[in-house]
Amino acid sequence: MRRGKLQHEDARHARERLLVLLGVAGTLALGLPACTRAASAVEGGRPVPGSPPAAAALGQATARPVEDQPVGPVPGIGDVPPLANPLQGDRSALQEGRRLFVRYNCSGCHGGRAGGGMGPSLRDPDWLYGSSPDRIFSSIAQGRGHGMPSWGVRLPEKQLWELTLYVSSLRTPDEPEAP
Amino acid sequence: MRTAALAALAAGAACHGDHEPPHLAMERTGAVTALTGSKPNVHLISPLPNGEWRLPSGDYANTRFSPLAQINTTNVQNLHVLTTASTGVPHGHEGGPLVVNNVMYVVTPFPNNLIAIDLHKPSGAIKFIYQPHPDPRAVGIACCDVVNRGASYADGKIIYNLLDAETVAVDANTGAEVWRTRVGNIDIGETTTMAALVVKDKVLVGSSGGELGVRGWMAALDVATGKEVWRAYATGPDADVLIGSEFHAFYPKDQAPNQGVTTWAGEQWKLGGANPWGWVSYDPELNLVYYGTGNPGVWNPDLRPGDNKWSCAIIARNPDNGHAVWATQLVPHDHHDYDEIMENVLVDMDWPTSDGKVDKQRKLLLHPGRTGFMYVMDRRTGEILSAEKYVESTNWARRYDLKTGLPDEDVTKHTGSGKIVEDICPSSTGAKDFTPSAFSPLTGLLYIPAHNTCMNYEGIEANYIAGTPYLGADVKMYPGPGGFQGELVAWDPVAARKVWSVREDKLPVYSGVLATGGNVVFYGTMDGFFRALDARTGTMLFQFHAGSGIVGNPITYQGPDGKQYVAVYAGVGGWMGAVASPDVSADDPYAALGVVGAMKDLKKVTGLGDTLYVFGL
Repeated sequence: MRRGKLQHEDARHARERLLVLLGVAGTLALGLPACTRAASAVEGGRPVPGSPPAAAALGQATARPVEDQPVGPVPGIGDVPPLANPLQGDRSALQEGRRLFVRYNCSGCHGGRAGGGMGPSLRDPDWLYGSSPDRIFSSIAQGRGHGMPSWGVRLPEKQLWELTLYVSSLRTPDEPEAP
Repeated sequence: MRTAALAALAAGAACHGDHEPPHLAMERTGAVTALTGSKPNVHLISPLPNGEWRLPSGDYANTRFSPLAQINTTNVQNLHVLTTASTGVPHGHEGGPLVVNNVMYVVTPFPNNLIAIDLHKPSGAIKFIYQPHPDPRAVGIACCDVVNRGASYADGKIIYNLLDAETVAVDANTGAEVWRTRVGNIDIGETTTMAALVVKDKVLVGSSGGELGVRGWMAALDVATGKEVWRAYATGPDADVLIGSEFHAFYPKDQAPNQGVTTWAGEQWKLGGANPWGWVSYDPELNLVYYGTGNPGVWNPDLRPGDNKWSCAIIARNPDNGHAVWATQLVPHDHHDYDEIMENVLVDMDWPTSDGKVDKQRKLLLHPGRTGFMYVMDRRTGEILSAEKYVESTNWARRYDLKTGLPDEDVTKHTGSGKIVEDICPSSTGAKDFTPSAFSPLTGLLYIPAHNTCMNYEGIEANYIAGTPYLGADVKMYPGPGGFQGELVAWDPVAARKVWSVREDKLPVYSGVLATGGNVVFYGTMDGFFRALDARTGTMLFQFHAGSGIVGNPITYQGPDGKQYVAVYAGVGGWMGAVASPDVSADDPYAALGVVGAMKDLKKVTGLGDTLYVFGL
């Protein structure tokens, strides 16, 4: 399993890795299978996998210490700034996102160019769980009702951001392999 | 003459409660003389016993023929809607209702509620609603909309499958759940959409999941308790496939032992598909059930070298113990997702032999294939007696060699890794999909809801991740040549030719068909037109524009007032109807496994619906 194994060996991301690894250990304790149970609420202030790492770990300024920040699309709390995709603007990451979309069978459910089928279209303007990069990331990582698996327990964080980048590019001029 | 014939037929219909065999009633009609050509002597092996509809196809033989003739070619233009009812589920309404003891039973798409309607009350009244609450995760596992193809009535119970691989039996009078059996596991991609068929004391249930690497199976549950009695896998060693001492395949290619393993590389048979998600028919005299199997798992053929048995095959089994009596694989090493789960219509007809004689009352099995070939088989042995193209654009194979049972394929249409093959006809959805044909013993014709759809197909990488699609193919479909995409074909199975057809410009014909003793053929279009045609000529006699496209199967029955009624669902969806959903985008022709390319204008002519329509005079 490539769980917990990140691509970047940058010291700037060391804290982020620690957080994700701690979250992974928490998941193992929960015995989470590849199903659609959404990541549970914050345990003792630590982020659990399935949500993007806290903004501070990526070098962005935040309003409060990362341990006290809620994560994921928690209803009612609006002061967590939406996270940008750390791979935004990276064209090879976008191509990789397209490749992974096919590789992990996303295209089988969501359609050859993400137009839908077994799962809903990702090309259209209707987003059940939000369209900002952090929310797309969370949907892929946590899984969603009606059969969307939780990929966060299988895939390394970088691939989740690459997939997010591809999904965000649909119906834009940047979309690779557009229909 | 026609009046006399109809009167005789009506008398025959009235006699069905007596001991008179129905084929004599048919003969007494004498000449239904308005037919073109000579009419073969036809024997129905499982005629409807009365004005009810107790099984998914009405009868065991999958003819979808009712002898009721009160509605006929002289008065069907006066048909009108008497009742409508909403199921509350805006998804594909495949299947059709049952009518038993003056109660109509409707199984909805997921969440698979059972609605019982008391036909005694004017305009119907809900008798009960049974809500099984199947697992909503199944919604994302079902390949082709959250459909249900129907139920059976037996032993005082309505028996049907839930999407999440469970089978239920519900008390037909009270709506109480009598038993509920888990038959499969959605976490490995198994769902159950087919209409469970009750044969004697067994409930036959088959798996879905050929797009997720599911290894297919057909199981029999005890009708009283729901306990599993036998399970026959579609791939694997003979012991798993229940091939034993009772088995004799007609063709040498199908005879060697353990081909469910030896015709695969390595352990690929464990992901070997061959799911029997379509129709089951039964011959009470031979004591054989017949069904076809689906595609061999992963769509990219390069990932599964070998003939891939027993995918794309017709299998005959002894329902008592599940043992296979014969099997004929129609497509070895499928390149195109040509599931052969279509209906197997069982009729006895005179069959000309090669030396100019006539085999009287040959026991036939009519199977209009996904492949575009109309297979006529001897249902005792599995021999293919004829295989002719019923959709002209079919180009993946030229013909079948009846001595070997093998298709003569055009290898330029073989798909594989690293290439895009264009202009393959029919598409993966086929010259017809699961929507069932009807057969009329009055005309001797099979009425086939056909498609004219072609595709481009690129083999790409495939990775098996349990519970997700296992495909390895990028497919885009589009209408075939000739300016039409659908056709209601009236086919003469003995002469192997089309007698007449009604074409649709833009849309495949994706509904079931009903044939009646009044010489009327009923079917529906994907843009919602419910039609009645003259079974002999194809002349349209009646048309009604329903609220949504029709992808289900019309039935006819006798109400408590003795009058004849016709019922059908209008609720577009299913595989070819996927783009009608707001969740599917028309600008991705590769979406929904490629059907959107052929169906991108569907949203302009229909939307989702959920309505039962009942018609009468």
